[in-house]
Amino acid sequence: MGGLTSGRGLRTARVAAFDAELVRRWIRETAAQLSAQRDYLTQLDAAIGDADHGINMDRGFAAAASALEASDEATPGALLVQTGTTLMFRVGGAAGPLYGTSFREAGGALEDVGTFGMGELIVALRSGLEGIQSLGAAVEGDKTIVDAWAPAVAAMERGARAKSSAREVLRSGRLAAEAGATATTPMQARKGRASYLGPRSVGHQDPGATSTALLFTALERAVEAS
Amino acid sequence: MDRAARILKALGAGTSRLGVTELADRLNLAKTTVHGLLRTLERQELVEQDLDTGKYRLGPAMLQLGNAFLESHELRSRSLLWADALASRVGETVRVGVLHGRSVLIVHHVFRPDNSVQILEVGASIPWNACALGKATAAFLDADRRRTLLAGPLPVLTGRTMSDPHGLALSLDEVRRAGVAIEDQEAIVGEAEIAAPVFDHRSHVAGAIGVVGPVERLAPGGALEALVAAVKETARGLSRDMGAGRVAARGG
Repeated sequence: MGGLTSGRGLRTARVAAFDAELVRRWIRETAAQLSAQRDYLTQLDAAIGDADHGINMDRGFAAAASALEASDEATPGALLVQTGTTLMFRVGGAAGPLYGTSFREAGGALEDVGTFGMGELIVALRSGLEGIQSLGAAVEGDKTIVDAWAPAVAAMERGARAKSSAREVLRSGRLAAEAGATATTPMQARKGRASYLGPRSVGHQDPGATSTALLFTALERAVEAS
Repeated sequence: MDRAARILKALGAGTSRLGVTELADRLNLAKTTVHGLLRTLERQELVEQDLDTGKYRLGPAMLQLGNAFLESHELRSRSLLWADALASRVGETVRVGVLHGRSVLIVHHVFRPDNSVQILEVGASIPWNACALGKATAAFLDADRRRTLLAGPLPVLTGRTMSDPHGLALSLDEVRRAGVAIEDQEAIVGEAEIAAPVFDHRSHVAGAIGVVGPVERLAPGGALEALVAAVKETARGLSRDMGAGRVAARGG
């Protein structure tokens, strides 16, 4: 794969330097993850939703990835904002506005820097989470995207404070997101269409939290590939 | 009776299959008691035993009871034709709801006629303040019942759910004037609902009928006039069908 030409990646840099190319790789990798897991996500959604989460996310991120390839935007922040806008219009359902807002907020947090470090990445992810929460009013335990996103950001913040390597920080984020998604199974949904089901929503893993875990998986892989 | 009812409710909540020991633990009953009750419920087909695992789940007689409950709602049975007609006229999902405690119980749901996979929401329960069906109904209740609803709790489902009693009261006044309630992403992010009240032969509000779907289709910067007109017209026709007087059927 193309990408960085010199040794700016994590292997050599103690302070990670991320750039527009990382954003492209992240969205591309997310699209690949969602394409591979499309049927699984749809199957999860069939139990407590409209059985379209996999299809919607696959379509939306494929559109976002190809929009980025063609994009004239140069800064990582602008690319994230553009991704968010594509997601808002192309994903549909509640996931479109929620993921769309998260990427737009994350992009806004990066302002117009050309490169950024782990600290800024975590701030951007935290801003994305806040965007989701202000739109959806969900807190941890409501059986939503937030149940994967919030612990992932918290784990990355802990890792960064402990001066862990970029690789370790991203891994802890991915693991926390995965654990968060799994932990939604016994929860009773308090937000979204699944909440209409009341106690019948118990016993099913939340599709939104599951797709969020894939997002963090893709982020880890995108950085490792640099 | 009470213990049998608790067994049925346990099987109806979440984990749909439970063994005798699990049920006994959950309900704090002796295993022999649970076993005896399950045998009786099984004979009546209210529960059935999974042959592979030996665990119990709800039986086919429960479905008949659920259906009988729905059919007992006059609003539901009279709404079937009207809801179908509205769904095909506007090409959107139609739901009929009645107020049940502090929530709207969906008693009828017509899928959006586009062959997409959709989940049947009959039996779903939505806080009244978060949906147009609930606001359309609440606006036409007598002052006492309206006050009780406004006194809360008023659960928040999205960042746009109205949970301030004063603001809600003003919005109910507006619904009463307009004869229609609009909800913009107050129940589910990305979805809007337009609903109007349905009245019965005593000219009391019996529930509401409405269309629900993506906000960009139903209410891009305000509810579409054509949808509002179709919903109000349908609610008027359904109210007349329920025996409501002309004035009540007009929504006021």
